[in-house]
Amino acid sequence: MNQYLKYIFSPIIILLIYFFFPFSIFLSGNETTFVCVILLCFVVEYFIEKAKNGEEIYMRPIAAIKAMEEAVGRATEMGKPVLYVPGISSLDQIDTISGLTILGHVAGMTAEYDASLHVPVCVPIVMETAKETCKESYLKKGRPDLYRDDMVHYVTDDQFAYAAGVNGIMLREKPAAVFFQGKFYAESLILAETGNSIGAIQIAGTGSSSQIPFFVTACDYTLIGEEFYAASAYLSGSPEMLGSIKGQDYVKVGCMILILIVFISSILNGYGFIDFDISSLFRTNIIK
Amino acid sequence: MKRQLAYFLVIFIGFLTLFGHFINYSPLNNFIDNDATQWFDIISGFAAFLGVINLLQLHLNKIANKRDNWRYSIITLAGFIIMIIFGFIYNGSSVAMGPHLKEDGSAFYWMFQNIYLPLGATMFALLAFFVASASYRAFKIRNFEATLLLISGVFLMIGRVPVGQLIPWWMALEIYICLFFALLANRFEEKKKMLFSLVLCIAVLPLIIYYLNLHNLSIFKIPELQEWIMDVPATAGSRAIMIGIALGTIAQSYRIITGRERSILGD
Repeated sequence: MNQYLKYIFSPIIILLIYFFFPFSIFLSGNETTFVCVILLCFVVEYFIEKAKNGEEIYMRPIAAIKAMEEAVGRATEMGKPVLYVPGISSLDQIDTISGLTILGHVAGMTAEYDASLHVPVCVPIVMETAKETCKESYLKKGRPDLYRDDMVHYVTDDQFAYAAGVNGIMLREKPAAVFFQGKFYAESLILAETGNSIGAIQIAGTGSSSQIPFFVTACDYTLIGEEFYAASAYLSGSPEMLGSIKGQDYVKVGCMILILIVFISSILNGYGFIDFDISSLFRTNIIK
Repeated sequence: MKRQLAYFLVIFIGFLTLFGHFINYSPLNNFIDNDATQWFDIISGFAAFLGVINLLQLHLNKIANKRDNWRYSIITLAGFIIMIIFGFIYNGSSVAMGPHLKEDGSAFYWMFQNIYLPLGATMFALLAFFVASASYRAFKIRNFEATLLLISGVFLMIGRVPVGQLIPWWMALEIYICLFFALLANRFEEKKKMLFSLVLCIAVLPLIIYYLNLHNLSIFKIPELQEWIMDVPATAGSRAIMIGIALGTIAQSYRIITGRERSILGD
């Protein structure tokens, strides 16, 4: 138990320094964000430590993640390629980075199964990163001979020209499995519907909340919200990574409880039973 | 060593960016807000050349080896070369090279206005047809959730067109009654009884509502109902997803900047 005490006292000390430090070394207006980030990081770190110490971590099965290997296996059996679309944003978006981390796992699967992988990209810097990711995955699986330099290639920077290019690839090559993992905008439905029309098994994942309904409608499986960010950790299977997802889930439970408290106290405040408006604590400087 | 250096850079820059958001130290804040983003733009700019080289290599190889569909590569390369010529060599207008890119009358501008934009607009317009086919699949009544989606979708569509304003309260009420009976239809063993109940409700309920002076309630105005659907259940659902995304983003970033998430480097 003592070894976990640092996860209670460390954030308290950091927060005390943050709020009561005599000199103005911290930017004002970011208090809520700071508290949230510190608490989340320490909760995640606590569960990582627990997982490292051998505690069994239960993860609820996520159908889309389970289906990834099946999709690659299906493509291998059918002798058709696997198409991986990492979105249309650059590396400054966390969605693209998440998409590329998942690409690492998918490339590992295609290397293992000897399936053909095709990754058309929209942004040159993403192309270079995706190439390195695939190359390392093939190397790690002991199949560097299967890696081809043209499996990751640049199409165009333009949103709809890219959609047209990827649609063309889908219609000509008829991939058996299509992955949409990254940041998507209006082209999401065009891509997903074309994939649907060729009968490919489609697995999508995005953090763009406005595109999730389109993917849910047109794809076989969709990683919604935080599932998308957890996918890589889930696929790695390492206790350390699974512990971090567990921590994230506990923070989510905390958020639910907090929402309930704010909801009840806001009602009480609205009817004049209490004077303090608790929701004022959660206003950040994001909207000025 | 190469990989260790990459991990070190990821961790160092990650923490530096994080501190830049909270620590009041102007050189650090300037670095995060200006320099780092400029560095990223410079690196992206150089990567654009790599993209172009990759595009040329891929399509030239395709043509040289006459791989499947190699003829499309000729069109791609032709488009690429034509735009290079119109951008860097041939002007076609009276203004200098450079400003000619936005000058009405230059060959580049003509190509942009008459070929590039209409092609982009065509792709965007396809979205309308894809929305229709996707909605058809989503609205097919398979289970309770799909039925709920269909009902709310229909109300949204009716509520957002001008004709929705013209629907009187009693017709909205009749629609609700019909929907209610449609949902309960399986529970009725005798269909005659169901039909009788339905007709009775359709005939009597509007009179009761009118008599009780409840017909001015918002629920009987479809435009107001659709606004409620958008403002309350849809917003609640999307906010739940947004909270999940925010937590996922922080946890994922934390995994990356602490060097635990290494899949991007092939580990």
